[in-house]
Amino acid sequence: MERIDRKEAIKRTALLMGGVVFAPSILGVLKGCTPSTDIWRPSLFNAKQAAIVTALSETIIPAGETPGATDAGVPGFIESMVKDIYTEEQRELFLEGLASFNEVCEDETGKSFDRLTSEEMFEFASIKNVEAIESEPLEGPQFFLLFKELTMIGFFTSEPGATQVLRYEDIPGIYQACIPLEEVGRTWAT
Amino acid sequence: MNLNVKAKKNNSYDAIVVGTGISGGWAAKELTENGLNTLVLERGRNVKHVEDYPTMFKKPWEISHNDRVTPEEAEHYQKQMRTGYTIRQTTKHWWVRDTDQPYEEIKRFDWIRGYHVGGRSLMWGRHSYRLSPMDFEANAKEGVAVDWPVRYDDLAPWYSHVERFAGISGQALGLPQLPDSEFLPPWDLNCLEDHLKESMAEKFNRVLTIGRVANLSQAHKGRGSCMNRNLCMRGCPYGAYFSSNASTLPAAEATGNMTLRPHSIVDSVIYDEELGKATGVRVIDAETMETHEFYANIIFLNASCMNTTMIMLNSRSDRFPNGLGNDSGELGHNVMDHHFRVGANGQYDGFEDRYYWGRRPTGFYIPRFRNLNGNDRPYLRGFGYQGGASRQGWQRGVRELAIGKPLKEFIQTPGKWTMGMTAFGEMLPDHSNRVYLNHEKRDKWGQPTLVFDVEFKENEFKMREDMKNDAAEMLEAAGMKNVTTFDDPGGPGLGIHEMGTARMGRDPKTSVLNKWNQVHSCKNVFVTDGACMTSAACQNPSLTYMAFTARAANYAAEELKKGNL
Repeated sequence: MERIDRKEAIKRTALLMGGVVFAPSILGVLKGCTPSTDIWRPSLFNAKQAAIVTALSETIIPAGETPGATDAGVPGFIESMVKDIYTEEQRELFLEGLASFNEVCEDETGKSFDRLTSEEMFEFASIKNVEAIESEPLEGPQFFLLFKELTMIGFFTSEPGATQVLRYEDIPGIYQACIPLEEVGRTWAT
Repeated sequence: MNLNVKAKKNNSYDAIVVGTGISGGWAAKELTENGLNTLVLERGRNVKHVEDYPTMFKKPWEISHNDRVTPEEAEHYQKQMRTGYTIRQTTKHWWVRDTDQPYEEIKRFDWIRGYHVGGRSLMWGRHSYRLSPMDFEANAKEGVAVDWPVRYDDLAPWYSHVERFAGISGQALGLPQLPDSEFLPPWDLNCLEDHLKESMAEKFNRVLTIGRVANLSQAHKGRGSCMNRNLCMRGCPYGAYFSSNASTLPAAEATGNMTLRPHSIVDSVIYDEELGKATGVRVIDAETMETHEFYANIIFLNASCMNTTMIMLNSRSDRFPNGLGNDSGELGHNVMDHHFRVGANGQYDGFEDRYYWGRRPTGFYIPRFRNLNGNDRPYLRGFGYQGGASRQGWQRGVRELAIGKPLKEFIQTPGKWTMGMTAFGEMLPDHSNRVYLNHEKRDKWGQPTLVFDVEFKENEFKMREDMKNDAAEMLEAAGMKNVTTFDDPGGPGLGIHEMGTARMGRDPKTSVLNKWNQVHSCKNVFVTDGACMTSAACQNPSLTYMAFTARAANYAAEELKKGNL
């Protein structure tokens, strides 16, 4: 695949990120979503894309003592956002970004991302995460951070993410304005 | 002949109320409780309390696509989406489809609407503040527009009347610029908000208080206490905030005197030249497209500011060629909203061992502090702030250097305390800010459409400098770090506080309504929604519409009994 010009890539990623997922909200609150935990049958992603999306989201939020991205249905959530909520242009940009991420991975590691060991995945994605955060202020929105945010939205608004990793109370009942953190224990999901 | 007489008898009521939002609900309640057989017309569908709140119990994981709508669907809501918070899967059913409800903009105007029983009382922000003596006197003192024909004392008992029923939570402060309501217990300020409050008192002699909201901090009048879910806009299963659906319409229904007719678009008011008064309204059935006439002795227009104005402009007769009651030529002029989306944000190092429980349905409020004693700023009037503090959540992890297990662990502890506030400023009435009908461009019911020619002017822009800088200064003085300011007014209308297009006044030559909200030249028509406002003040206006409505409805009922209407 031909590499797109770097400037063009930045411009297009900016469009992608400015469009839907990073739309500024006056409340600054991202609410709700439903990663389905039913078996996911990709309908937009091909097998390769689905494998990379699954591997990368699980690398960002891995299962451990608590569930991870795959358990929470995050890959299916990401596909549903790209397929149903993105415009056609944004969809193409996402798929290009994903392909480009994997191309770099193949260049640098000799393997497709989904073929790496989980240690290698963690190492490669950690580097890409740091690079993206460092280059964002100068170069604008980065695909890796877009993907990371989609993963986190999907995970932390899922039932396992909201209730087992974070703290969620459907009906808090009362409001207590200023209490010891340990009485809540973990970050509120919402 | 006989048919006409029969039709007239069947379609006759003591009173007609047009609209079921915040003010229409109050008109319905007060008129029916005065024993008047009342027809309540609503252009949209019926919405039954609780029964018709389809998303009220949905948990985050029961909502797909991060609550967003598809681009295809968004096409229908291009103007409603300008708020940034209205068109979500969980709330989109409360907002009009712009493709069905077109309007024109000479200049950008964000007309955000909900057409259904309850109107925007279902989705409102619930902040409820009295206007002050100063607000009712300002126009006369400064020679702006026209004088209000009422003073605070005229309205004060009616504020109390509506507050006792609606249920307003808040803290009494005894401030002259923000009179106290009859309060239910207040919600508490959190640690950082309390800290800012103390800092502001000490360093600026300014006040910060909990937002005064129509949310029930305890069970009230048969409605349940707030459960601190902060999902109000989906409709509340407990009836814990004031809406027409939960509060006033059930009260009107209980009298047995109300006939509610949804899907009824009012085309115009019928004016009888011989009698010199209105006799009823012409209605288009939104579903069947049939036209009907309904008759009554009293007509309350509560269709919301712009729609009430449209009905009046469209009610043309030999006596009123330019619209009902428009002898002054002011009908449709003096459009006001509040200007906002200007303020500051900051972070705080500290209170790291403190957190909160529950999702409070309000934030803090900073009452107006500028131009209180004389006018010492380069603009007239003033502004208040709404804001809140909270600890950063998982979202801060996106730009965190960690991924994987360390990211998961990092995110489980809440981040720094952050705080933000936006000012709400008064917009002056200006004759050149106007709306008018386009009879050429019609909607799908054959109704003329509205054209907006409205802009913020010099006084608003000068005020915004203080609105921005004062916020930053107060945050910095309280020790906030990384204080940043923002200033993006958007279009007028975005405050969703449209006002002023059929203003009250003392002189029929320069105003549309008298001190009882009666059309000067057609005394059995009352307007008590935002259209009646002579000036905007800087407080959220709904409570004032409620008070004016209750006052006018009780006056109308008395006058009718006396045979004066």
